Formats: sequence, C-alpha cells, structure tokens
Amino acid sequence: MTVMEVSGARIGSLWRQRVDTLQEYEVIRDGNVFAAGFSNSYVCSSEYDRARQYLRELINQYDGCSLEAVFSGGRELVNDGGSCYLLESCEPLENPCFDEDRFRSLISGDLTLVHGIGKSTEKRLKQRGYQTLYDLMEHPRYRTPARRAADCIGLGKPADIMDLIGKRHSKSHPFVLGTAGLHEPGDYVFLDIETLGLFSRPIILFGVGILENGRLIVRQYLLRDISEEPAALMATLGYLSSDHPALVTFNGKAFDAPYVSDRLAYYGMEAINGIPHFDVLHFSRRKWKDTLSSLRLCALEKEILGISRDDDVPGQMVPEFYETYLRSGNCGPLVPIVEHNRQDVASLARLFFRLLGDVCGDR
Amino acid sequence: MSVAIADLLRLLSVNPVYRNRVVFTDITGPTEARYGELGTPLSASLAAYLKQKNIRLYTHQCDAINHLRNGRNVIITTPTASGKTLAFNLPVFEKLEQDPAARALYLYPTKALSNDQLATLEQMDRFTTTGVRPAIYDGDTPQSKRAAIRENARIIISNPHELHQVLSWHAKWRPFFSGLRYIVIDEAHRYRGVFGSHIALLVRRLLRLCAFYGSHPQFVLSTATIANPVEFAGNLTGRSFELVQQDGSPHGRRTFVLYNPFYDGIGDRSAHQETKDLLLSCVKEDLQTLCFTGSRKMAELVTLWAREDARHSSCRLADAISAYRAGYLPEERRGLERQLKDGMMKGIVSTNALELGIDVGTLDAVILSGYPGTMMSARQQAGRAGRNGTDSLAILVAMANPLDQYFMNHPDRFFSRSHEHAIVDTHNPYIVSGHLLCAAAELPVNDSADSLFFGESLSSHLADLATHDLVRKTARGWVYSGRGRAAEAVQLDGIPGPTFRIMHKGKLLETMDRGHAFSEAHKGAIMLHQGVTYVVNEMDLETHTIRVSETDVDYYTQPLKEVSLKIVETTGNRILNDVKCAFGEVEVTETITGFKLKRGDTIIGIEPLSLPPTTFRTKAFWLVPPERIGQKVDAGDLDLAGGLHGAEHAIIALMPLHVMCDRWDIGGLSSPMFGETGEPAIFVYDAYEGGIGLAEKAYDILPCLLASAHELVRDCSCEKGCPSCIYSPKCGNDNQPLDKEATIIILGELCRQPVPATAVPDPAVSPTVSP
Repeated sequence: MTVMEVSGARIGSLWRQRVDTLQEYEVIRDGNVFAAGFSNSYVCSSEYDRARQYLRELINQYDGCSLEAVFSGGRELVNDGGSCYLLESCEPLENPCFDEDRFRSLISGDLTLVHGIGKSTEKRLKQRGYQTLYDLMEHPRYRTPARRAADCIGLGKPADIMDLIGKRHSKSHPFVLGTAGLHEPGDYVFLDIETLGLFSRPIILFGVGILENGRLIVRQYLLRDISEEPAALMATLGYLSSDHPALVTFNGKAFDAPYVSDRLAYYGMEAINGIPHFDVLHFSRRKWKDTLSSLRLCALEKEILGISRDDDVPGQMVPEFYETYLRSGNCGPLVPIVEHNRQDVASLARLFFRLLGDVCGDR
Repeated sequence: MSVAIADLLRLLSVNPVYRNRVVFTDITGPTEARYGELGTPLSASLAAYLKQKNIRLYTHQCDAINHLRNGRNVIITTPTASGKTLAFNLPVFEKLEQDPAARALYLYPTKALSNDQLATLEQMDRFTTTGVRPAIYDGDTPQSKRAAIRENARIIISNPHELHQVLSWHAKWRPFFSGLRYIVIDEAHRYRGVFGSHIALLVRRLLRLCAFYGSHPQFVLSTATIANPVEFAGNLTGRSFELVQQDGSPHGRRTFVLYNPFYDGIGDRSAHQETKDLLLSCVKEDLQTLCFTGSRKMAELVTLWAREDARHSSCRLADAISAYRAGYLPEERRGLERQLKDGMMKGIVSTNALELGIDVGTLDAVILSGYPGTMMSARQQAGRAGRNGTDSLAILVAMANPLDQYFMNHPDRFFSRSHEHAIVDTHNPYIVSGHLLCAAAELPVNDSADSLFFGESLSSHLADLATHDLVRKTARGWVYSGRGRAAEAVQLDGIPGPTFRIMHKGKLLETMDRGHAFSEAHKGAIMLHQGVTYVVNEMDLETHTIRVSETDVDYYTQPLKEVSLKIVETTGNRILNDVKCAFGEVEVTETITGFKLKRGDTIIGIEPLSLPPTTFRTKAFWLVPPERIGQKVDAGDLDLAGGLHGAEHAIIALMPLHVMCDRWDIGGLSSPMFGETGEPAIFVYDAYEGGIGLAEKAYDILPCLLASAHELVRDCSCEKGCPSCIYSPKCGNDNQPLDKEATIIILGELCRQPVPATAVPDPAVSPTVSP
C-alpha cells in the first residue's frame, strides 16, 4: 500500500499543478481596449496587482481570527440540506415608484400585442379610431384576439402579462420590464451568486435581497466549506417557492439561473421553473449601450447610481480568493467577497428600481 | 480470376527481378454470400427500406441484430465494407420506432466518418419516416442549435472529445440520457493505448450519469480485426459482449503477395524504387491501384518516379498516376474521387495516415510500401481492393526493419489469425484519478457505488486529491472543489505532467510529454509529423515550448540515452523454462546525453546535449536468465552483455506483433549485472507514467513473445546482426554492444527452443553445462 501512497501523492500534486495553470480570465495591460474586446473575461493589470496585494494584506490582517469573530453578525443556519453560515444586513430602500394604472393603460394602447398586427397595421387602425385594445374588441376581424389580450392585461397575473408582451416584443422591451411593476414589492427576489469558476464548480456564496417595510434586507448564505452548498442552495430556493416570486438578477439568464439549476442537478435536487425572471443586464443594455462604454454592474453603479467601491475584489478573482480561504483556513479573503456580493445585490436592486421608474414612474 | 490480375501474377513469377523477391503468394476465395435469418421479421418500414435498396441481410448482420434484440452488447469485427453499419442501424431504428422516448448515441473518431454516418441515417429516416432527426453535436455545432439538437435529435453523432466536455452539463441532457438505449462506438480499435484508456474511463463517466437518470444503454462496437475483441470491448466499456466475426458477405478471389527487396540480405535497390516498379506494372496491366507509403515525402517521390517512367511509354499513362495527401481542398479531393470512379485515374499514392481520408471506391490492387505497423492496418489497407465481390490483389513490399523481415521469413505468421491485442488500461493511476476529478464535477462521487465504475483504487485516489484540495468529502459524496474546470485539466490524449507544445510558425503542431520531448524533440532533432519532416530549432525548458521549422534534410537524428532503473514493487512472478520472469512497478530514469546525426547507417556527426534527467514510475516485465545461460554464452566465447542487449531489442521489435503499440510506447534496459544481486536481467517497460498495460499484456503472453523474438533473430540471414533483427533504430547506446550468436542462445534458452545447427554453428555445447 505504501507504493500507492507514494505515487498517489505525486499524482495529486500533478493535477494540482495542472488545475492551477487554468485561468478563466486574462490579465490585460491597462487601457488595452483592443484586448478587452477580444476576451470575454479580463482584469486590468493594475487592478490585478492591487487585488493580489490586497489578498496578502488580508491574510496578514486576519491571521488567527475565527470566522465567527470576523463575521460577528452572522449565525449558523441549519436546514434539511445541512448547515451554512448566514449573514444579514439591511439598508433603507424605498419601494419603487411605479404607476400601475398608467402602465396598464399604456400597454392597452399597444395594438401590436395582438397576433397579426404589426407596426403599419397598428398605425392604420389607430387612424381609424382604434386607439386601444378595448376599442379593438369592436373590430370585426381582431375582436377575439383583442379580447384575449385585453382580458390578460386587465385581469391576468403579472407573469401572464409578461408572457403576452414577451411573445410580441423583444425580451428587453421596456414593457416586459414594466410587468415587474405589477408585482408586490415583497415579491422581488434579488439574487447574485459567487462561484469557484465558470460552471460545474460549487457556488460559494448566495446573496439574496428582499424588500421589507422600506428596507432592503440582504441575506447571504456563505459556505464555510464546500460541503455546505446543499444547505445554502435549499435556503435560496425557499425564496423562489413563495406565492408570486419575481426573480431579479444581473446577467442571471446567462449565468446565475442556469448555474443554480446546474448545481441543483448536481445534487439531484429538483429545479424550480416558470418564475418570472428580470435580467437587469438586458434592460440596461437596451437603454445605455450607446452611451456607456462598459455595461458591467460596477460600471453602471458608478455611472448611473454614483456609487464607488473601495477595497473590492474583482469578480473574476473571487475564485482564487475563496480558494485561498479554503486551503489556508484564513478568513481574510472572505471579507471582500462577502462585501462585494452584498454591494452587488444592493446595486442590482437600485438599478432595477431606477429602470422600472423610467418605464412608468409615478411622477 | 480477373485476367489482368492473372497477367500481373504471371509477370511476377517470370520476370527475373520480381521472381526472386516474391517470397510468398496467398490466395483465398472466392467466397459466396451467406444470408441469415432474423428471429422475428423487421417492421414493415424497415423491411421496405431494405427492399427498396435491394438488400438481403448476411449472416453476420442477422447475428448482430438477433443478439441486440436479446439485450446483449455486441462487438462486430467483420472487414470493412461488409455492411457493419447496417447491422446496428437496423436494430437502433427498430428500438426508436417502438419507443418514442428512446435515444441513441453514436461516437465517431473523425469528422469525415461522422458526416458519412449522418448522411446514411438521414436517408434511412426519410425513407422510414421514423422521426429520428439525427444530428451531429460536436465542437463545430453552433451554440444556437445545440439546445434544439439535445431536445429533438433521437440519434446524436458525436466524438469523445466533445462528450468529455458536455458531461458536466448533464442536466441539459436529461431527456437524452434518460432515454439512452444504444451507444454505438464505431472504429473502436482506434481507442487503444493512452487515448483508449481515457475513453474507457470517459465511457464509465457516461454510464454513471445514465445510471443516475435511470437508463442502462446497450453497446454496439465495431472494430477492425484484433486478437482480443471481447476482452477489448469489455475493458473499453466495463460490460460483457457477444462477438460477431463470421463475415457473410461475398468476396472475389483475393491474392496477397509478400515481396522482399532484401531477400538476399542486401537489397541493392531501395524498397521505394521497387514500389514504383510494382505500381507501374500494375497500372500498365490496367489495374486501378492504390499505393500506401510511410511518409508524405515518399508518396511524392514514388509518384514522381512512376510518372517519369510512365512518360517513356505514354503521356496518358503518366497523367493517370497521382499522389494524394492531406491538405487537399474538398474540391480537389472530389475531382480525384471522380477521376477514380470513371476510371481516368489509374494509380494513387498516399501515406498510411490517410487510410480513411478519401472515398476511393472499388480498386483492383493495393500496394503497401512497408508494413504499416499493425496487422490491423495492413488488413484494412489491403481491404481497399476488391470491394463488391470482385477479385483483388495486394502486395506488401517489405522494408529492412525487423517486423517486415520477420513476416518475410515467416509468411504463415502474416496470414494466420491475428495475434495483436488491443490494450486499454483502466488502472493507470494518472488516468483514473483525472477522470475521478471530472466525475466529481459531474455528480458527487460515492465511495462504494462508484467503485463499480472506477475500480477499487477510487478511495485512495480521492483521498489523495483531497489532500491537494481538489475534492472535498461531504455528506453527499466527494465534491470537486478545484478552481479550474476539471474537464479542461484532463486531456484525453495524454498523461498529466509537464507537456511540451511543439509550435510551427506560431501554430500548435502537437503536444508531447516531457520524456518523449527530451528524446524526440530536443534541439537539433529531426522529427516527422504526419509525413512532413521538421527540424527542432529551439527547446525552451521554462515555457515548455518547442519551435520547429519544415526541412528537407537527408539525415535523421538519434538520441543517445542513459537509462537506469529501480524495481519499486514486484506484483507478479512466474517461472518459464526455469527462467525467473516478473512483472511490477519500476522507476525509470532516462538522461539524454546527446544525439547522433545519421545518413543511412553512417554516422555523420555527434552533438552533445545537456538536459536534466527524466524520472517516471511505470510498469515493466523483466527476465532473469539463470546462471547456466550465462555459462553457455561464456563457453562459446560470446558476449553476455551483447546477447542480453540483442534479446532486449528483438523482444521490443516484436512487441507490436502481439500487443498493439509502436516503438514510442515501450522502452527497455538490459544488463549482465543488475542491481544488488548482480544477476543478468532484461527489462521492458511502458514509456508512460503509470504504465498503459502494454508490458502487462506482454507478460501474460510471454512465451509467444519470446518464441517469435527467437525466430526473428535465428532466421535472419545476416551474420552479425542487422537492422532486420537486433539493431534498433532508437537504441540509446548506438547498438553497442550487440552479439547475435549470444542473442540466439539466450532467446533460445528463454523459450527452450533448441538452437538449430543450420542457423549458426552451435558453439555452446559444453560438457560442463547441463540443465
């Protein structure tokens, strides 16, 4: 057996070396816009150097500190999936300004929501006095589909209205976003995850934001060890199984949602489907793609919300920070990850309200 | 027999040059078609499909279908063009007709084969209206089409590399994996050696996911002829198999000629010149002929010479001979295919690498310029002639090397049942632990349940990976916790460790592990890649990069190597003819000290190199000749060290005859005084970290291997040893020392064959030595 052990240890270290050479982002020279355009994922070299230096400082600063001491406000959460660590914070955030009636009347004036009516037909119909879907219920040809659409808008659940609009317009159309305004503020679930890499690796931190009495409560489910992922997944799923949840993410359609489904499948847990999902990246892109050079969350937060972060860890470097924690047991690297995630959730919520207000704010 | 072939055979037997060189002519057939019966008839739509194509099923097709219908896994080893594809497409379609949720996965090694199969399946689907919607899913499949293919295609054609990448996305494949009923692995013999061992574990990962989604697919494998089809299929998939090997398809008369330019032990004309002459003779007889050569350069040269010669008699004849090489544009290729089909093109010269690159249709004759390395390839290449039941001719032109010459001296070995074992090793610790890493990223790994797929060593591997923080033990099993993507860290064609990238004009030519890079791609080395010659300009040990440029030199290089070896653990012992034989783990240290530049057999220069030594653990078998053998050698005033060294070379030279591999894959060491005991010893080891099962298989069949090595040396007509017997082109000691007579005595004693007095005078008979 000693033979196996000797050559075994060598094998493990070979894989370790191999895995360490895999980078999922590129470090590019500052201001090298050309390279940035080519690479999906990059960190500027100044940012990279700063983050590496910061990591070293954190290790020194938190040497010997227990996780409980570092995150003193947190507590252990236990559920059917096991346990994980829960951190809770809150900040004031007013409910979004949104005029629901005005929005409903706005969309009832969109005749193109009826199958078979395009822009030009709509124009012709309006010239003939069919201003709204309700008017169109008198039309000999469009009567039936117009009634269906009008009923949906008048009586349907927000998710049904979102479907109706989504079928006739692009998924990033402001009307699609507007259906979010039909939800109760308590329905919103703002979600942002931090992971060990781009897919097929554990999610190490789940940040969930919800609104309660004019405050944004951010609950973060942190893995003290990889084994705590099922508990954190389960806790997060709890928010999506409420009455009318509406999921809000930034780039979550491409990343967070499939990632969570992937991890659920990994553990053989049931996925949750059919929840309205508002991806703020898509609406931001539609609105600002011509005016802003970067549509990353931290760029939008700076340009639109006027927030700037200090002591941040670049999102791409979260895996190596967490891995440092995992391998050394030193909690220092977790500090900026938790703060980064909390800030992401908060900015996501603010940006979402800002965009929603633009669709149909009550002025 | 066709008149043209008969004429050519006559020419071979009367022409004084040809006559001497033809050492053997083997004639088989013709054989009639044999048709089979199905247990129950096919569905109306499939029966109509066969009727429309005017197909009646042969015995082997029926056997395969009957077995598959009974839920068995099947491996089909009938020759190319015997209708293997139909033998599995029919039962797959039948299953898809019966069960709307059923799915099938086809794995193909190349793009061209995938495309061919897609066309066949689409045609079948159109005719039978089964709604199979077959599709290719590989690296070139656009992102936008992937979801629809996963959802809708009921047969997905893919390749191992793609499968390796997609397994971690299994949640998206749920409908496919849960409905998976058949896994078809065509051309399975390509999955052998290191690559095959990876594929075997990849298949285990796939099966683990299938089990998770509640499916238990059946396997269909097709391979070329190998000695151990059922064992091979079992190793590749972990299942038990029914063998279908009796070919029921009709064949014309097949003539196979063994042709030896070195019949007199000298060979005053090069084998390539002889190839050219034979090609011309065939073409002049109006035989459409395909000629395979060992390198691209040779293909070009043989073509050039043949065209020059042909021009003396007719320009049209010269234009009817052409080379075919990789890198032809699709249009050029189609043009050539068309010319072949309408008979304008008479002679095509290609490299071995292109066995499957082109649809040449029916040909009359095939010339193999040099044994292509495996019996399997030789048969596949020869099988290119005489499709559709017509008469055919194949000629093997021997080179001077040991294997080629062994066949020339022992034609019966060439035409007998295959002795080549295809090897996959599901125990290489490096490969197993890599796939465990991937598996842990797909689903949590469970010690007891998953040892079914990955073997008993699973727990110790996982513990090792855990100490390097690559996996974590959790209540749900071992979970991958590395930062990089596991499937990206594990490459299907290598063993982990430092790999060198060989770059040509900024493009990656290939990758090589350190040991091979040091001995084959050091600075100044001449290396061959897909028939093209390159010279190494630079080897950067820091960045693991080798830069090469194309070259056209007439010399080659040979590394000078010092090898030392340490036995780590002996796991097997056996006594053969009172010779101690053992198998186990060894630690090999190789140091490349320099290299020789050679033109033919002449050394034109020696260059020193200073490279750090390479140490690796691998599997080896070794032989310890007893004292009496040494005494016998001494008594004849022969050199024991030279004899052991010669025996080592002969054994390695004939390894590929029994265990499919090439000389890259094995190494050897011999010493008259090994280790602490100071006994003589011969070692043969796998040249890969952890071993890949070659030495292990050879150890199992040691008596056959030793007997053939003995025959090789005993029956070689040279006096003192030559490249056809005990000289090795990769010897790190410059073939020093070598003693042929001592070699014959040692090998003879190892397999206890009396040394015949005709081959060498028996100097070893001494009254003091009696066993």
